[in-house]
Amino acid sequence: METNGNEGGHRFSQKSIAQLDEIITHYPERRAAMLPALWIAQREYDGYLPPEALQEVADRLERPLSEVQAVASFYTMYNFRKRGRHHLEVCTCLSCAVRGAYEVMHKLEKELGISAGEVTVDGEFSIAEVECLDFCGAATVVQVGDQYFGNVTAENVDMLLDQLRNSDSHTPVELADALVKIMTPGGSEAAPA
Amino acid sequence: MPETRILLKHRDEPGIEDIETYERLGGYTALRKALGMERQEVINEVKSSGLRGRGGAGFPTWIKWDGIPKNTNQPHYVLCNADEGEPGTFKDRELMLKCAHQIVEGIIIAGYATLSKVSYIYIRGEFVESAKMVRKAIDQAYRKGYLGKKILGREDFDFDLYIHVGAGSYECGEESALMSSLMGERGQPRLKFPHAPLPVIAGAWNQPTLINNVETYSVVPHIIVNGGAWYASMGTQGSKGTKIFSLSGHIAKPGNYEIIFGMPLLDLVELAGGVTGGNLKAIIPGGSSVPLIPAEIAKDFTLDYEASQTVQYRMRTMRLPVVGSGGMMVFNDRTDIVTLMLRTAEFYAHESCGKCTPCREGTRWLYKILYRIVSGGGRPSDLDILMNICDGIDGRSYCALGDAAAWPIMGSLKHYRHEYEYWIEHKRSPLGDNFVPPVPNRLNLNFELLPAR
Repeated sequence: METNGNEGGHRFSQKSIAQLDEIITHYPERRAAMLPALWIAQREYDGYLPPEALQEVADRLERPLSEVQAVASFYTMYNFRKRGRHHLEVCTCLSCAVRGAYEVMHKLEKELGISAGEVTVDGEFSIAEVECLDFCGAATVVQVGDQYFGNVTAENVDMLLDQLRNSDSHTPVELADALVKIMTPGGSEAAPA
Repeated sequence: MPETRILLKHRDEPGIEDIETYERLGGYTALRKALGMERQEVINEVKSSGLRGRGGAGFPTWIKWDGIPKNTNQPHYVLCNADEGEPGTFKDRELMLKCAHQIVEGIIIAGYATLSKVSYIYIRGEFVESAKMVRKAIDQAYRKGYLGKKILGREDFDFDLYIHVGAGSYECGEESALMSSLMGERGQPRLKFPHAPLPVIAGAWNQPTLINNVETYSVVPHIIVNGGAWYASMGTQGSKGTKIFSLSGHIAKPGNYEIIFGMPLLDLVELAGGVTGGNLKAIIPGGSSVPLIPAEIAKDFTLDYEASQTVQYRMRTMRLPVVGSGGMMVFNDRTDIVTLMLRTAEFYAHESCGKCTPCREGTRWLYKILYRIVSGGGRPSDLDILMNICDGIDGRSYCALGDAAAWPIMGSLKHYRHEYEYWIEHKRSPLGDNFVPPVPNRLNLNFELLPAR
């Protein structure tokens, strides 16, 4: 990872700094770029927000660290621990629950040998139970990084795991990267990272 | 009654995500037409259409549009609420995925009518695929001159549209919490009218702010092209036009269905292929926040904003909505209502933002008591305690999340009291052991250990 000779152990790349500067211009106040800045940090810090990442966001937005922590801890998609290379978020809300979401969840826990909220020893997978992903028509829905997988059942979830084992896509970093591109004007024309 | 597709007319059109295809099918003619009208004429057209907000509350749209101060140099903002989070609802996801240009066009027209220069679309962070389509639509609209400086040659109309993505919070779909989140804060609501000014007077950054749902903006181009009177010719007295309902649960053909208001509830279930895996037991007609309707009385309901259920508690009579956000969940007779309500309560306990006491504490108490019943420790007095807590939350929280947590449980206690009593007496479901949804086996009862939110 390039460091750009940043002071204080900052890790944002030149590209990220440029993107943050651009996004800040969208708002009348610098602090409004808090959520975008946290997404950029989550991309730069390997898919989660260690204390250094929060400090870097605080420095770049010129806000106190306590405020950055307060905001980041409110939202469930900011990770404070490193997730697996593939982070499987199983929706178990109403429509998914009545269509077998808990069976999917239990099958995953058995298959991977971990409980919801944990990461496998090899760092390959982590699983979590999440609230409604709003794709109820395709219940059960599993979000993996930037992708929704619909109509998942306890029977076909093995196929999903196999597909992910052989894939470098849908990582937490890729999710953060996709969201930053979405917030950047012209992001749809940018070449894939 | 069949579907009437207006917003979803082009959902299956190949290449609709490209601006050229959208223009060929009549896209952006509404914007051209609107720019040829006086600003007040645009608002009057929305007024005569009878359009009401599609996010769930059904507030008349024109009042917001007309409420933005006119002839002022103060900056003001147009916001689009695309933080769809209501369990059972997935209409905005499809509208963004398939018809993003329609939303962008509606937002630009709103910007013109309210003399705004800047707008934001707040999309929930999970919706990556949909948000990519919105990004593409905005980039193309800039290229074609529908966004940016001097739109379509109008010297007096500059307008920018930015995307702000959320990071996982149901509460941010509430308008004042959404504005907090947009300003870079925790997504917590603020005091509301009449205790504080409406967003149209003091919203984001304390400036006049217009905020509408994705579906509401999507309707606007059609109203401008065809006229408000055309839109008002569909529907019922108080609910004009069409509404998208998202069907899920035990239903043969889940998906989004766009229908004219006033359709009988059971007709829509029929339209979606009927119930699967058994007979119909209950329907949650408008997202998890509205109380369920048992099959026995479902035939009495039509889908419009006038429809409601009443719940009586002590001296209060509460009128609870039916349509809501349009997330319709259908349940067959293998569904256990008490565990379903436990799962609903878990959702609201998890999503309560923690700002006000009735909701923060009440949602957790509801969850704990329901959990106790389902784990075999229920007491006969629990039902009164549940009702009492619901009464303590309803109407007493900062925002409607508290009401939404209480209503489904109040509704289920009215209609399914016997199932609760069976659970308490026999310590098991009236359906035996084989029912859905199963009791989650890893629910963490110790709330102190859950991350504080």
